[in-house]
Amino acid sequence: MSDALPVPPPKARLLERIPGLIGALSASPFALLMMFGFVAPLLCVVWFGFMPSKTFSLVQTPTLENYETIFNQTYFKSALWSLGLAAVTVVILLVICFPLAFAMAKIFRGAASFITYAIATSLFVSENIRLFGWVIGFMKKGVVGGTLEAWFGLQVDSLLYNIPVIILGMVYVYLPFMLFPLVLGVKMVPDQVREAAFDLGASRWQVFKKIDLPLSMPGVMIGSLLVFVLSVGAISEAKILGGQKVVTIASDIESEFTYAQNWPLGSALSTMFIALTTVVVFFALSRFDLEKLLGKKPAE
Amino acid sequence: MDESAAPILEVANVTKRFGKFTAVNDVSFAIADGEFFTLVGPSGSGKTTLLRMLVGMEKPTTGELRLRGKIVNDLAPNKRPTCMVFQSLALFPHMSVGKNVEFPLAIRGEREGDRRTRAWELLKLLHLDPNRYYDKNVTQCSGGERQRVALARALAYDPDILFFDEPLSALDARLRKTLQKELKDIQRSTKKTFCYVTHSLEEAMVMSDRVAILRSGVIEQIGQPDEIYASPKNAFVAEFMGEVNLLDITVTGGTSAEWDTGRKPLVINLPASLDAGTKRKLLIRPESLRFIAPGESAGNTVPVRILNQFSLGSRIQYHVEVVPGCTLTVERLREERSTATAEALLGWDLADSQILES
Amino acid sequence: MIVTRTQKAGFSLYAGLVLLVFYFPVFCIIVASLSKKRFFSFPYASEDMTFKWYADALNSPQVHDFVGVSLRIASVTALASVTIGFFSALAYARYRWRGRQTFQRLVLLPLFFPQSVLGLALLMWFNFLDVTTAWWTAAIAHTVWIAPITTLIISIQAYGLDESLEEAARDMGATRWQILRKITIPLLLPGMISATCFAVLLSWGNFALSLFTTGADSALPEWLYARMTSGYQPMVPAVGVINVGVAILLVIILFAIVRWSTRKSRTSALSH
Repeated sequence: MSDALPVPPPKARLLERIPGLIGALSASPFALLMMFGFVAPLLCVVWFGFMPSKTFSLVQTPTLENYETIFNQTYFKSALWSLGLAAVTVVILLVICFPLAFAMAKIFRGAASFITYAIATSLFVSENIRLFGWVIGFMKKGVVGGTLEAWFGLQVDSLLYNIPVIILGMVYVYLPFMLFPLVLGVKMVPDQVREAAFDLGASRWQVFKKIDLPLSMPGVMIGSLLVFVLSVGAISEAKILGGQKVVTIASDIESEFTYAQNWPLGSALSTMFIALTTVVVFFALSRFDLEKLLGKKPAE
Repeated sequence: MDESAAPILEVANVTKRFGKFTAVNDVSFAIADGEFFTLVGPSGSGKTTLLRMLVGMEKPTTGELRLRGKIVNDLAPNKRPTCMVFQSLALFPHMSVGKNVEFPLAIRGEREGDRRTRAWELLKLLHLDPNRYYDKNVTQCSGGERQRVALARALAYDPDILFFDEPLSALDARLRKTLQKELKDIQRSTKKTFCYVTHSLEEAMVMSDRVAILRSGVIEQIGQPDEIYASPKNAFVAEFMGEVNLLDITVTGGTSAEWDTGRKPLVINLPASLDAGTKRKLLIRPESLRFIAPGESAGNTVPVRILNQFSLGSRIQYHVEVVPGCTLTVERLREERSTATAEALLGWDLADSQILES
Repeated sequence: MIVTRTQKAGFSLYAGLVLLVFYFPVFCIIVASLSKKRFFSFPYASEDMTFKWYADALNSPQVHDFVGVSLRIASVTALASVTIGFFSALAYARYRWRGRQTFQRLVLLPLFFPQSVLGLALLMWFNFLDVTTAWWTAAIAHTVWIAPITTLIISIQAYGLDESLEEAARDMGATRWQILRKITIPLLLPGMISATCFAVLLSWGNFALSLFTTGADSALPEWLYARMTSGYQPMVPAVGVINVGVAILLVIILFAIVRWSTRKSRTSALSH
């Protein structure tokens, strides 16, 4: 080995001299993408919300007329529907998925990864197709109706176009988004801690309430949050399964952009919707360190 | 401890199989009320499996477990009057020290005031000042402190038998010695039955009233520490107890035998007579070997070469070579420092040697 | 674990039930795709079974168009999101820099965002830029949402990167670019392949973003949506089944790649 270290080229010396420069550089493609594809469009939306109604140009004097329209009319109805459906979906999914997540994390061994793949596959199939399957199942003379008629002689009308089936659709589409975070959460409960609780006299319900639930809370929060945010912006379930029965906020927004051709109003609605969702997300995310959940080393 | 009283725990012909693998093989023993009983063995000996069966985390494949005469094979852990201190301690990370200790009392539905008083008492018993520790989060406590919290919590359950799964193995030597003494003191003062599992024989000897040595799922020997030390049943137990000398011998006739040193065999005298052709191991403790001065005699002598010597405080340990590849360990008091040079004559008395099976 | 046999059986039953219900729609679609009649009704006799709709679907120039659009979007999205994901994974998991923690939080933001709103926002943005929406604008939209996912996937692997390998190379005079090419990329390759599969699959099945950003072009999910809401057409289930079948196939391939890469890294670690 020669005495002198090889002299690094000048550019490398610059990278060496400024600590953290390479990290920032590496992050820049992503940052640029986000600037262009995420931040800018959202700012665009917010700004458009202040433009005069039914116009298409961004260079006009801002006005609050859209927000007045929103507050004076019944857009709150669709917003409440969306929020309500989302909340119900979260609760139902928590109840359905927790036992399954518990089994996958603690009880099954090989079966757990089979279930994971089986359910993850659904993420790669367009939700429309999966919902369409339910349409075929529940429509008049569909799989369910036809079977009941053929075997039991029951005449069943279409089981579609009502609220329960919309909720079924939402629970169905967003199940993976609750299940996988829950599995991660339950995995965080150390086996020996559970055993110790039993050993100290706790019943199964007491172990669940005092040990399982608190210690898997990060998973519960992430899953609930994810499902809530995604389902509050859901657009397909209500339309495909519910027809005109329920109008969600997302579909209201879409109408403003398509039928009503009122982009500013649609933008104002979107802005309010985004603001609401952001508040919920920030509030919940700030209480939990996602890194700890994913088991990664803490950032320095 | 009243040995004539009925034992508090009886293990009768218990076997545990996992598929083709037998972890515990037809084990039987009994623990008396108020006894400090230890299961010792190397890893893979089945001691942890046995412990888990006693606590209820596993079910025996065959055999019976009896607590105070009642068969408890199928009794769930939360219904047994037993409690375990886990190797990882298994403290509840989301609760404070106080809440951890109170847990078994809260489960039983005791009132908050009573719980707090009892937890306070227990923390004091374990030398943890409640004022400082009660509200402290367990994840912020040191290793030794967490040990005490785990013990306090187990005592709060007020079990008939307290089980310990190698709780001190993660601590440094000094802390371990301190806690060993404290454990023994607490056992004496609370008069509870302790059943302890460890891989360190030294630990077992220090704390226990009786010790059971396990190997590959089978109990090799049970007895009081002194008994086992003085008369190990076989070579495994003898070796498990530390550095001893075990000679491979084949009896040639009567009390005469050949010692297989790897080179040509040496003739030695045995303390007892056996049939010719019997293969055994001869146990000689390091402190029983001595350097023979000219004119002295001993039951057996063998010329050796001193390879190394190590100072062990008040004693000195010598590693000597009989033939290349065959070494012996000798321990003498410092005052007896041998004036021997590299070559010396080593000897031992017949009464100081023991014939063992493998 | 202290779980009794009956408890385990109970959980298995429950899991089986969930999976059954989960795949019920798939069963329905398969059933519908094989029915000869123009309008679907169940049950139908086995004489009325046919593969005609599959043939129609595979031969339909319309379907070909839409598949083509979806494929184009998916491939561009995959390329862009994996490339960007590679660099941001390094920033996320490998390099130490001041903004790292904030960056880690912000990476997740697009994932927690309702896609329909994002799609709409992008539509407006493109309109403002006087850009007509087409398949490539949809690719941008998909990339915005999928880049965080590829970042996370590659990060999981980047967390396990042994710094000393890169440092040793540095010590021997390699430039940063050489290190990247000869050490970092090969080591992260399994993660990048997984990320590519994910990107392709997620883009392929995406509806909400495509709806707003494809403009005159239409991706397959959009075509399906239009058909579904405008009245029953028997070719739709057939297309749906093909879609699901391709997805399952790709998942199996993904699974195989994951297995192969973990085995490979284990043996290469042994050989070091």
